Amino acid sequence: MKTSYDVIVIGAGPAGLAAAIYAARARLRTLVVDESVPGGQVKTTHKVSNYPGFPEDVSGKDLAGAFAAQAQRFGARLAKAVEITSHDLAGPEKRLVLDEEEEVVAPAVVVATGAKPRELGVPGESRFRGRGISYCATCDGAYFDGKDIHVVGGGNSAVEETLFLTQFARTVTVVHQFDEFQAEPASVQEALANPKIRTLLSHEPRAFQGELALERLEVEDLKTKERKVLPTDGVFVFVGMKPRTELLEGLVPLAPGGYVETSDAMETRVPGLFVAGDIRVKRFRQITTAVADGTIAALAAQRYVKEHRR
Amino acid sequence: MSDHVQEIGQQDYEREVLAAKGAVILDFYSTECPPCEALAPKYDAVAEAFAGRARFLKIFRQGNRELATRLGVTGSPTLVFYRNGEEVGERMTGEEIKKSALKAQVEAIAG
Repeated sequence: MKTSYDVIVIGAGPAGLAAAIYAARARLRTLVVDESVPGGQVKTTHKVSNYPGFPEDVSGKDLAGAFAAQAQRFGARLAKAVEITSHDLAGPEKRLVLDEEEEVVAPAVVVATGAKPRELGVPGESRFRGRGISYCATCDGAYFDGKDIHVVGGGNSAVEETLFLTQFARTVTVVHQFDEFQAEPASVQEALANPKIRTLLSHEPRAFQGELALERLEVEDLKTKERKVLPTDGVFVFVGMKPRTELLEGLVPLAPGGYVETSDAMETRVPGLFVAGDIRVKRFRQITTAVADGTIAALAAQRYVKEHRR
Repeated sequence: MSDHVQEIGQQDYEREVLAAKGAVILDFYSTECPPCEALAPKYDAVAEAFAGRARFLKIFRQGNRELATRLGVTGSPTLVFYRNGEEVGERMTGEEIKKSALKAQVEAIAG
């Protein structure tokens, strides 16, 4: 089976769904594919406080659901939990195979695959993933009811998710490599005032240890070079993101860090191939900036499709 | 849930998993867990594809904490694989579980 679209959007996070809203509303036949459920990183963010239009905090899950519903209202088809098992994005007709069974084609593709949590790359990390190490507080926080846990990181996600984890854990110790947090001052203040939260600054994880599950975290004091082994019930890792660029390998050059360079209209050097959201080279990665990228990519793709049809 | 996936509780673990012959896959899931929602349709599809060759079970973690702790499961979703009651292969966990990888692992243990 082969189905033709005008635009295929890969990735159903804020950038991809904004692109789908604009494309579908412009009456382009629009498909959005995602290997998970819609929402990207937003769906596992426990609350969003700075997205315009929501004077009260909105849960990330609700915001993600609203983005998806809006795209579907204008007729975009949303293919959830599908795997792209083969792809050719180089030529004038872009082609994807979904789950080895459905072939979809379109003249324009918007890649909005975003980024995934970066791993620490420390011994024991892959062994204890799901056995004490987690990268998603909303998913796994409840496992640590009444426990003493650690968070690694010091940026916005680390501090926000630490605050969320205090709902469950007895104590949360934040291990951060620098001697102050990089997160927004408002959240840092809130965290420092919370009696459940402790900090271990200028320290870095060196190893995860345990038998069946994680039991100990080994850290290094970066100032004295001294190593300590801390008992722990669990470790949440929030040390930044890694762009998902597997589909673009060999097609477009990647900047240091693996991000993709685009024009200000979200174009790549491949005609008809657009890139939007956190996967791009840019200074700030926010829901609002992802949505802006998606909007621009859809408008540029719309123009490209029109010209292509003539 | 599809007809090919059976929900169990920790009181059934001994009978349905440890005493079971052949390949058994056990999925620990939670509510408020988007990666679990994403896995569910893939898990159902693979369960259907292997009907008669492997048994697919799921267990609600919040209601079965004791078993999760005993197995060292601290994340959702987590897939644990068994053959003749023994845990085999690598566990799979989190958002990145691909249908193709799940199929390949089940193929390997179902024999």
